[in-house]
Amino acid sequence: MNGAAIAPAGSYLGEGWDARSWFTTLDHKRIGILYTAAITLLFGIGGAAAALIRLDLLTPHSELVSLATYNKLFTIHGVIMVWFFLIPSIPATLGNFLVPMMVGARDLAFPRLNLFSWYLFVAGGALTIYALVSGGVDTGWTFYAPYSTSYANGYVYAVATGVFIAGFSSILTGLNFIVTIHEMRAPGLTWFRLPLFIWSMYATSLILVLATPVLAMTLVLMGIERFAGIGVFDPALGGDPLLFQHLFWFYSHPAVYIMIVPAMGVASEIISCFARNPVFGYRFMAYAILAIAAFGFVVWGHHMFVSGQSAYAGTVFSLLTFLVSVPSAVKVFNWTATLYKGRISFEAPMLYALGFIGLFTIGGLTGLFLASLGLDVQLHDTYFVVAHFHYIMVGGAVMAFFGGMHFWWPKITGRMYPETWARSCAVLTFVGFNLTFFPQFIVGYLGMPRRYPEYPPEFQVWNVLSSAGAAFLAFGYALPLFYLLWSLRHGPRAPANPWNAKGLEWQTPSPPPVENFPVAPTVQEEAYAYRSGEAGHG
Amino acid sequence: MQLPARPQVYLLVWVGLLALLALTILAAYARLGAYGTALHFTIAATQAALVMLFSMHLASAHPLMRAIALIGFIGIAILVLLTLLDVLTR
Amino acid sequence: MAEGVLAIQPQFDDARQQRAASNLGIWIFLATEVLFFGVLFAAYAITRIRFPVAFAQGGQLTDIALAGTNTAVLLTSSLSMALAVHAASRGSKRTLVLLLWTTVLLGCAFLAIKGVEYREDYLEHLVPTLGFAHPGPGESQVELFFYLYFLITGVHALHVLIGIACIATIAVMASRGRFSPSYFTPVDVTGLYWHLVDVIWLFVFPALYLVSRS
Repeated sequence: MNGAAIAPAGSYLGEGWDARSWFTTLDHKRIGILYTAAITLLFGIGGAAAALIRLDLLTPHSELVSLATYNKLFTIHGVIMVWFFLIPSIPATLGNFLVPMMVGARDLAFPRLNLFSWYLFVAGGALTIYALVSGGVDTGWTFYAPYSTSYANGYVYAVATGVFIAGFSSILTGLNFIVTIHEMRAPGLTWFRLPLFIWSMYATSLILVLATPVLAMTLVLMGIERFAGIGVFDPALGGDPLLFQHLFWFYSHPAVYIMIVPAMGVASEIISCFARNPVFGYRFMAYAILAIAAFGFVVWGHHMFVSGQSAYAGTVFSLLTFLVSVPSAVKVFNWTATLYKGRISFEAPMLYALGFIGLFTIGGLTGLFLASLGLDVQLHDTYFVVAHFHYIMVGGAVMAFFGGMHFWWPKITGRMYPETWARSCAVLTFVGFNLTFFPQFIVGYLGMPRRYPEYPPEFQVWNVLSSAGAAFLAFGYALPLFYLLWSLRHGPRAPANPWNAKGLEWQTPSPPPVENFPVAPTVQEEAYAYRSGEAGHG
Repeated sequence: MQLPARPQVYLLVWVGLLALLALTILAAYARLGAYGTALHFTIAATQAALVMLFSMHLASAHPLMRAIALIGFIGIAILVLLTLLDVLTR
Repeated sequence: MAEGVLAIQPQFDDARQQRAASNLGIWIFLATEVLFFGVLFAAYAITRIRFPVAFAQGGQLTDIALAGTNTAVLLTSSLSMALAVHAASRGSKRTLVLLLWTTVLLGCAFLAIKGVEYREDYLEHLVPTLGFAHPGPGESQVELFFYLYFLITGVHALHVLIGIACIATIAVMASRGRFSPSYFTPVDVTGLYWHLVDVIWLFVFPALYLVSRS
């Protein structure tokens, strides 16, 4: 396969196809593809861990893997899915590709930093995979001290270093986006004419650069404590294990907004396009994105309600957590209002986006249950929590990621994907997802703890349903890999704007030339200037 | 961003910083208790402000740079304050 | 690249945009450094509040003379760096090179004095995991103080070392005439980093050496 077979000469894909042209590229579009390849591989590994977990949970006793191995499985599943899939996913793939195009620039502000960030990501991932195959880690992705610092055997240093390195990859990506959005917008593209995807990339980047350094130093503290045998988290010295949790969650809660805010941006792009309506309440949507990012920094204690944290602090964190749900709810209402009196069509991206709205709402609502102190005492560390965050991370973020991949596939590759296959997979994924995770709400409420490989026999029916759903989900995720790759060779060639969408990225050929725009664009209309009565895709 | 027109600004700032350094060291021996701690950090913040406003040109920079310069300190303040809310009320 | 000639990178429209982007970029990076160090300060502050007596004892065992001198050294290196940036903006190549190497020298002096301090601490059995001993109640909390002391000053010293390497590199580039009044961004950016390393020390010094000394 070479570039010419996939795309016409004159596009960024036609500019060479050898290793050098890919691994030394400074083109943000190619770097986005490099990231896509890397996270797809890592998603497969994290997914394989999940598959083993769900297979093991088919029976009340852990018959597939040993108890020790089970701990390693959920640890590596979490580590890979959080840091090596979800956090980079939309920003490093779609963000890298689209941010310069949506602001009308030729590239990001710092192309060399961009490539360097990919190499950092690969290095971090390689180190983590090395740790996995060498025997793994069993601390959970949360690395709580003093277990991680004093008692855990395993490759804690390797995984912590891998995550540390990948963290710098995130910081550089965020830095690049912030500078690009501030300084390189096309003439006429004022802040409030920006697509909401750009607002979401901007807010995500703020969180990336502000939160990730805290994780980096927390990992250093953990590693040095493990090495030196003395430290600030060690109760034997008077150290405080909760200090680790405060430091860890100060990053890790904003991290979940790194994972969902980009998905919100994708949703706004897709929904407005396939409803042929401007996004309802554009300014509120932009402010809500910023509010989510800001409030996300003051709620971390809701992960620690039953850890020994004081009840006063718990009350404050609970209140703040209720407040952070408000801007999210505003967004859900506004997406729904965007559909009102629209001319809605149900292409695959729209199916994913609609699924996103529903599943994110359920995930967000159950977050409020967990934010209530009294309920959390019952629900903490049960499968209710697991279901809650998977509804947001998978039902929300991953659905939006797949939706965005399909929506911008024609632009990125110059090919149309097969629509019937794509719609079928969207539906299959939605059904499989709910079958996998809704039973987990139930079994968690009934009392099944998370991270346990064994459970009372009366919980088996829910676990079997969940594992069955996981099988459907696996198909739903695997099939796009095949038909999308197939489309590179056999899909019909895509026009510049197959969806008749608004946005600068659609004003240039599919796939774009290296410099994105043959002539630098100027912007004269508002965002989402869809006019009622105007035709959708043709 | 604009550089100061005359390098003498940097010399003046340097003298001020050294004076504050002398002051804060003297204060350490003055048995001021908790007020001492507040004084030390007020002096440190003043020194930091001098360096950031003049040596780092923040006084003449775009307001965005001033916001970015502050945001890191604000983040740490949030971390410390809310953690203390827990630690002090357990 | 020709001597002192500004090369506009292809992604930028003009020199102004390139300068603005570089400036914004370095300030964002500096913000990440503040947060990075801030975690150490947070851990220190919170642990200190829990053990005020032991940490006061530990603080009194630190060498205020050496650290105070070091603070003056670092502040002076900031002066030479600021003057270097000024010289670059004026195109005074010789002054620029001289001032950059002065900054390097002062940075090395800082590290040398730090080395003397560390050696002194080692001989007084104040280094955790290397024969730490402070007989009496609260020994483990005093050890905790010194654990954080070495961590904070060590990470800071690492940043000083990196800064020295960067400034030395810039000094070599400057002596080869790579900068001019229309292009001295690397000097400016390195200067900002160096000043931040100074600012961090301005907080490290009172936190570790001065609080509750008397």
